[in-house]
Amino acid sequence: MLDITELQRDYITEILNISMGRAASVLSEMVSEEVSLSVPEVDFVQRNIAAEKFDQANVSTMSGVTQSIRGAIYGDALLMFPEEKTLSIVRILLGETLPVESLTEMEQEAMCEIGNIILNSVVSSIADILKKEIMSSLPRFIKGTGCEVFAVETSNDDDLVMFLKVNFGLESQSINGYVTLILNVDSLQDFIFQLNEQINAI
Amino acid sequence: MLSEVDKMNHEMEVESAAPSGRLFEKVLDLSENGLFLVDADRKIILWNEWMVQASSVEPVDVIGKVFSQVFPDLVGKRIELVINTALDMRTASLLSRSLNKSIFPLYYANVGGKKMRIEQSVIVKPVQSDGHDYCMVQITDVTPMVQRESVLRVLAKEAAEGQKAAEGVSQMKSQFTSTVSHELRTPLTSIRGSLGLIASGVMGELQPEVSRLIGIASNNTERLLFLINDILDMEKIEAGKMNFVMGPVDLIVVLKQSIEANQPYGEQYHVRYLLQDGISGIIVNADTDRIMQVFSNLLSNAAKFSLEGSDVDINVSESNGMVRVEVKDYGAGIPLQFQSRIFDKFSQADGSNTRKVGGTGLGLSISRAIMEMMDGTIGFVTEEGKGTTFYLDICLFNKG
Repeated sequence: MLDITELQRDYITEILNISMGRAASVLSEMVSEEVSLSVPEVDFVQRNIAAEKFDQANVSTMSGVTQSIRGAIYGDALLMFPEEKTLSIVRILLGETLPVESLTEMEQEAMCEIGNIILNSVVSSIADILKKEIMSSLPRFIKGTGCEVFAVETSNDDDLVMFLKVNFGLESQSINGYVTLILNVDSLQDFIFQLNEQINAI
Repeated sequence: MLSEVDKMNHEMEVESAAPSGRLFEKVLDLSENGLFLVDADRKIILWNEWMVQASSVEPVDVIGKVFSQVFPDLVGKRIELVINTALDMRTASLLSRSLNKSIFPLYYANVGGKKMRIEQSVIVKPVQSDGHDYCMVQITDVTPMVQRESVLRVLAKEAAEGQKAAEGVSQMKSQFTSTVSHELRTPLTSIRGSLGLIASGVMGELQPEVSRLIGIASNNTERLLFLINDILDMEKIEAGKMNFVMGPVDLIVVLKQSIEANQPYGEQYHVRYLLQDGISGIIVNADTDRIMQVFSNLLSNAAKFSLEGSDVDINVSESNGMVRVEVKDYGAGIPLQFQSRIFDKFSQADGSNTRKVGGTGLGLSISRAIMEMMDGTIGFVTEEGKGTTFYLDICLFNKG
């Protein structure tokens, strides 16, 4: 567990909400419909605890999008929703109904693009805080339980996960999901340092 | 260790083996994807053969020109924005076919005089080389995927409609069955009443021949009523409308009542029901009427399939919170090929028109459904030529 002050937490939440707003306006324009995105909560937890938290909160399988990130921080960024929520998001955004209970190839591709937009804007706001470059790979569609999803590549228990609750507002629905960034400890200390620098500069 | 000279030679070899820029271009021209490269000034510096074919624009007409000049219609669109972020922030992006319809004006070579647009999925990736930033745009033709999914859409819709229609038909069928059954039962009941009165002689002494005919009419009326009641029960079970009032039931009392009620039936086959002696006070958790229905079914079956003049033994035993009731006949046993279908609807080992014993073939199917609803089980042990034992396992009533 990483202790951060209320002020630090507020600052990160604020910055992430601004970037989510940008992502939402891109999505709104693409689908010509009101889309809202917000981050009501930010937390830092260990990778394995994050996986447990994930599974406790969501009985069903999760699905979503992952991108690897390289540069100032090194790890994976994920956007996850309970599987049936992913289905509603894609189908509402594409404005279609299909009596099939899993995403088709093209719908998965569309979900990848939605995830790409959201994750890129989160990653770029983190890069802004760090004042360093972070590169991210192309999005990939994933599906599984929390433990499966978090067992990705960098399987080091010391890794910390930046855990963001995300609220996806579509039509009259409000869908809750998560964005997580798996960060190594060095990246995180750098992140906190830069965060303090900026807060002090205000 | 390589000497300095060896190293130099090795480097020279590597250099000569490395493909030239021209070879790379040739390879890119063979690609089944559209590829073009944009530099930091937004100028297009590479345009592969796939792009030439699909856009009908030659490299000489695009190389060195800025993106917005080549694609004026795409200025301010998402594709231009992601090219900018790839160059400025080194971010990779995906533009899916579903959320971006036909991004670039690309077409198949004239097919029968028609211009057909290529369905596209586009990825944009940052590239760094020698301290310079570039952006690679790769276009994949997803037309086959789009066509596949439109077929899938039609099929999925048809399947859903088919399912809805089938549900409607099944509901109509069950409504029809229950209406018809009710309409049949009412007149049959009054026929049975009238025949009973005539047979009893209240309406006057009957000639033996008339009495025989009235007897046949009565028996067949009874058979029809049984059939209709069974069909109605089956219908109720399938519709989940059979209600159960579960509670403590004195098993032996109910068994004795069932035996008494079936005695006349047993007599027709010259069969005696023998209940095991010395048992009492076994309280099970059941619905009285329904458990009696199951007992009656097993008792009448046992009589029906017994050898004339034999006994039917009824035994009760208790273990692990369950009570087992066994009804044992000394008949022909159940043929092996029929054993797996015995609890199916309308099943009788002898399905021919000339079969010797009556019945609807619904009794055991109903009994099993009833036992399952009461958390019990029904089963049988049989030996051809020796007889069959049907058993019921019923939960003891738990006072807690």
